[in-house]
Amino acid sequence: MATVDTRKPVAPSTAKPRERGGRRPVSPGRIALYITLSVISLLMVVPFVWMVITSLKSPVEIASQDAGLLPSSWQFSNYVDAFEAAPFATYARNSFIIAISHTVLNVLVASMAGYALARIRFRGSEVIFYLFIAALMIPTYTKVLPEFLIVRFMPLAGGNDILGQGGSGWLDTWWALIIPGAVTPFAVFLFRQFYLDLPVELEEAARLDGLGEFRIYARIMTPQVKPALTTVALLTFESSWNNFLWPLLVTRTDSLRVIQVGLSVFKTENGTQWHFLMAGTTLATLPMVLLFLIGQRYFVQGFATAGLK
Amino acid sequence: MELNRRSLLAAIGAGTAAALTGCGTGTGTSAAGSADGPAEGEITLLTPIYEGAKGKKLLEGDILGGFRKKYPDVKVNVDYTTYDQLNEKITTGLAGGLLPDVLMMGVGWIPPFAAKGAIAELPEKLAETHDYEKRVLEPSRHDGKLYALPVVLDTRIVVYRKDHFAEAGIRKTPANWSELRAVAKQLTTKGRVGFDPFSINLRQCWETFLFANGGQLFSADGKKPLFTDARGVESLQFFKDLVADGSADYSRKTDTGAPSNVQTGQGSMMMTTSALWVQVKEQNPELIEQDKLGAFVLANRRPAMLQGGTLVSQSASSKHPAAARALVEWLATPESILGAAQQRGSVPGLRDLSDTPYVKENQFVDLSLKNLQHAVSEGGTAAWMEIREKIVPTLEPAIVGDQSAKDAIAELGRLAEAAIGRM
Repeated sequence: MATVDTRKPVAPSTAKPRERGGRRPVSPGRIALYITLSVISLLMVVPFVWMVITSLKSPVEIASQDAGLLPSSWQFSNYVDAFEAAPFATYARNSFIIAISHTVLNVLVASMAGYALARIRFRGSEVIFYLFIAALMIPTYTKVLPEFLIVRFMPLAGGNDILGQGGSGWLDTWWALIIPGAVTPFAVFLFRQFYLDLPVELEEAARLDGLGEFRIYARIMTPQVKPALTTVALLTFESSWNNFLWPLLVTRTDSLRVIQVGLSVFKTENGTQWHFLMAGTTLATLPMVLLFLIGQRYFVQGFATAGLK
Repeated sequence: MELNRRSLLAAIGAGTAAALTGCGTGTGTSAAGSADGPAEGEITLLTPIYEGAKGKKLLEGDILGGFRKKYPDVKVNVDYTTYDQLNEKITTGLAGGLLPDVLMMGVGWIPPFAAKGAIAELPEKLAETHDYEKRVLEPSRHDGKLYALPVVLDTRIVVYRKDHFAEAGIRKTPANWSELRAVAKQLTTKGRVGFDPFSINLRQCWETFLFANGGQLFSADGKKPLFTDARGVESLQFFKDLVADGSADYSRKTDTGAPSNVQTGQGSMMMTTSALWVQVKEQNPELIEQDKLGAFVLANRRPAMLQGGTLVSQSASSKHPAAARALVEWLATPESILGAAQQRGSVPGLRDLSDTPYVKENQFVDLSLKNLQHAVSEGGTAAWMEIREKIVPTLEPAIVGDQSAKDAIAELGRLAEAAIGRM
């Protein structure tokens, strides 16, 4: 018996064949986007590349009008000489200790405060929140002198009596470097916004399971705000690492000075040693670059979620 | 008015310091303890110079090494800071009642801190210990009394390219502003600017022109601004004229430490400091080897060389005044001064040192020492720390914008009067 093939013959397709690997053609809009992003990336990276290249040039070559982009002879000794110009190992260690301490304290205390303001109803919470918002508006430099006086007249510290007289308080100690400014109102605000967005069902389920307030904060809610934790940690570390004025004001001895103070020796009233300054700055920048590379996913997510720029 | 970090802090600091120090020491006369006893105890020196490991070795090894031998019972702790943060350091220390025993500060800073009672009056005999040019000690005085001794000076002079002058057939340096303007115009060729007055701090540059034009900043008692007269306006107008001629360009100024226009050949003359010699030696040694650089003192109605620098003073509240006084005297000895000057490329302000190899080798320092009789300094009022921060932001719009020189100077005059009124 003859059989009839009822299948319709396949008509030759007029549509464009799909590219190998299932890739879609790139639209002109996307090409424009890539070009724009590439140009912006280039603009962002050029100063950094210039800094590294300058750190490897001699002073004569930096001054020369005819010098090319790359050094004619690579002066790696600039790094050694820059390191010998000041006790950078001590400065870097100090900066690291202060930055880590600030980061831990800020993440811990500000997240607790943010959680309390977002999830716990208590009398005056609104007022306290508005006070935090108000604190965000105070320029940093107007706080320097009052903070200095608090540190100076700290009772029972550095030879001070109970009224804060007679000694030097926390001046020239780790306390002065770490405690003031360890917790920022911005971090409290950021954490509050993140905790506000979490579903109330999560909290209620935890309560039904018999968890207390601290365990709800620590075990249930905080793991949901990882982007905020990373964002606050990175911003705090960065700001603390780059801090210059406060450590200079409250310390006297070299053993408590920080890396930004070390870099200032290359820039004086009478001139700047660019080759050393760039070498020192390159080294001082490295920890921040590494930290960002490690935490960039959460960092970007944190900013996107919080709607921050 | 621009509200910047430093002016904000200075204003808050001045108020708080005044409140905390109270009126008890506000007479301007020192309340320091007697410095007649034996020099002993632990004291602190606050310094914005002796930077880096080399500076530290010079200060703590060479200079203080000798001091320790002479005064074995005195221990000196050094607090290094930068000039940019020096005012904040002194202001917070004053407000907190913990001022270092010995303070190094800039020219113009003595009247404000002497008026607050922060620094102690020094005996007049110290002015005669070394061979000072009379002018050099003027910034160390307030109300005629001596409060500090000079350590290093930094002068503002005009440096020019001898090869550009020769190429243009110019045989002598300008003796007044009309010659300067004409020469600058003549030298503005091949993409060069004839004169670059903008690559040093605009405040110090304008002051040099003001003094060269026969003007003054303040009255002798420091209560009245005098720069608001025609001399002050003409000084600012001169910059505008140079820009209008095309022989000066504010956008082509270079940063401190960066190769200057005269070094790169992009400019033929520039206002600069005596420290440029050290920078040229490091960056363009061939310019010195080939004798391509010259220098002269700016002149119009009179020659004038702005004299900045670093002075050393004694805290009025030191618990060890004899030790502090001894250190002040030690830091101002010729040996200490020469070391500090060499490290910074500065001018050692003593005639005793004019024949040293350092001075003879550094032509800009040599020129400055030979012209110390023409040195003029900024400051002269107790309100100087506030006024100095307002000069650049007030004058800059007249140079880069449409504001007239007269209006800018008048505005600065009003700000200065208000600051003096608050004292």
